[in-house]
Amino acid sequence: MSAADIELVDLHKHYRKGRIDIPALDGLSLTIDAGSFVAIMGPSGSGKSTLLHLIGGLDSADSGIIRVGEYRLDRMSERQLTAWRSRHVGFIFQMYHLVPVLTAAQNVELPLLLFRMPARERRKRVATALEVVGLADRMDHRPNQLSGGQEQRVAIARAIVTDPDVILADEPTGDLDARTSQEILQLLSLLNAEFGKTIVMVTHDPRAAAFGQRILHLDKGVLDRDERNPARPAAAAHAH
Amino acid sequence: MALPLTYNARNLVARKLSSTLTFLIVAFVVFVLSLLLSFVAGIRASLGATGSPRNIIVLKPGATAESTSLIPLDDLGPLIQTPGLALATPLTGTSAAAEAFATGRLRVGEPLLSQELAVQTMLPRRAGGAAANVAVRGVDDIAFALHADVRISAGRLFTPGALEVIVGAAAQARFAGLELGATVPLGRKGERAYKVVGVFTAGGGALESELWAPRTMIADSFHRRLASSVCLQVRDEAAVAPAVAYINGPSVGLEAKPELQYYRDLAEKTREIVVLTSVLVGIMGIGAAFAVATTMYAAVDSRRRELAMLRALGFARRSIVAALLVESLLLCLLASACGLAVSAASSGTRQDFLSDTTWTVLAYELRMTPGIVATALLVATAVSVAGTLAPALRAARLNIIVALRKA
Repeated sequence: MSAADIELVDLHKHYRKGRIDIPALDGLSLTIDAGSFVAIMGPSGSGKSTLLHLIGGLDSADSGIIRVGEYRLDRMSERQLTAWRSRHVGFIFQMYHLVPVLTAAQNVELPLLLFRMPARERRKRVATALEVVGLADRMDHRPNQLSGGQEQRVAIARAIVTDPDVILADEPTGDLDARTSQEILQLLSLLNAEFGKTIVMVTHDPRAAAFGQRILHLDKGVLDRDERNPARPAAAAHAH
Repeated sequence: MALPLTYNARNLVARKLSSTLTFLIVAFVVFVLSLLLSFVAGIRASLGATGSPRNIIVLKPGATAESTSLIPLDDLGPLIQTPGLALATPLTGTSAAAEAFATGRLRVGEPLLSQELAVQTMLPRRAGGAAANVAVRGVDDIAFALHADVRISAGRLFTPGALEVIVGAAAQARFAGLELGATVPLGRKGERAYKVVGVFTAGGGALESELWAPRTMIADSFHRRLASSVCLQVRDEAAVAPAVAYINGPSVGLEAKPELQYYRDLAEKTREIVVLTSVLVGIMGIGAAFAVATTMYAAVDSRRRELAMLRALGFARRSIVAALLVESLLLCLLASACGLAVSAASSGTRQDFLSDTTWTVLAYELRMTPGIVATALLVATAVSVAGTLAPALRAARLNIIVALRKA
């Protein structure tokens, strides 16, 4: 079980569309405690997805500091970031992005293939991860044999199977109905509460954001509001 | 670590149509390639199995084959003086020569020098019935001592001075009307009826595609007073070079070649076929590589988000390239195995080859060799890599964020 804190200092990220310069992050600074569950909200173009990609090492900033645990991502090469992602971060996407030709168990096993690990140990970890998300009896099902909620659970199992420091969720309930969304969010809360995972979730949905202990509102690439959620106090063990 | 093979295999199955089309194209290329190479290997094996290391073939200067060589009988006199010329020694066993010795038709001490007259006749093929040229060789009994691998497998030797013929086993298998007891029309207008009295083998070599009859009778039937070639045998292999030099020199003025080299040179004519095969397979291979590229571009395009997800999970660019290469190799190697299997089914079957040097049909066996299998697999691998590299590199360079967003 591991978790990492996150520190972002004066982050700048601009995109160019032809001759037009589009600022996505404009000097953003913030810290996220290890073991906390943070929701990021904001209108389209506010920079929340860009922020998630930078924390996940999928993209690099124009300037600024990105530290996740003991790693300075802003100093890493593309190859180092790839290796770092495989060991320290788990991704949950809105569209699940499961490999359709593989079973649930094989999808969950994918990140473990990047580790030197005996097949027996891999199978054990996959079984545990699927049990945590409540799909132990769906191991051999292909994605097209699962419901949307079950697919997202498989994606969550895939995100946690390597025991990452940070779980990054990009609109994890965006494609699900209200009831299934609640189940998924409760599962994320469980991962945070029981396993102490640092979770950063981007969402448009205030009901989803309400599961976070802290809600960050971004607007035009800067932090507009930083709210503590009184309904979800941070666990004392994980608070700074 | 690489992605599991099941991932590659199931992705191929998932895209049934494009995978099947590519499979068929690659299988066809490999089939054609292996069949053409089997053909060349068969001809080379047939011609390579012909000849003795102590035999020398003498032709008219400038002639490349017996069919274009005519030697006046007067020119043959000096050949008896060839240094190292061997003399007949008694032979035992099952060869035609041993039979000729046993019946007194060959005598000990005779110089091993055989005038031979090579002509052609048209005979109907067993398959299809179309007529084709068959080599007819007029020989004296001494020829059996020089071509010691000739064995009578059925019937008997022809009788000198009689309208009798013995037929090679391969010729009998390929042409109609060559059964024992049948008559074969030979002569300039096919006016003489030769009776088939025997069938012979010759170690699987080119001679098995021929008909042999008494030289004097063939000369008379075809109105040919000249010899096409002279085959002579020297005492040992060391005597071959001096004998060739003597015959090529001013004392004789004819053109001599070791018999093995003569047949090797005939086999070399297949080099043109190899070149043509290479060009043809090269063109087909390029087409197949385009088919593979189309399939793999489609695969990359339809799996952009999946591939981007793998990159996000931490799979390196090289893992993505490797995954797509493995996928394509799996398809191409399976296809080549199928192409090879179909081609191998015809391996060992007897075929005809109309030589452009002798203008006669040579029977040969299609031969699938380990070298051909290796070449076919190499070509399939090259097609796979050539067709996959560009789409695989494109997949590896995908912008993860953009690809994950794209619907």
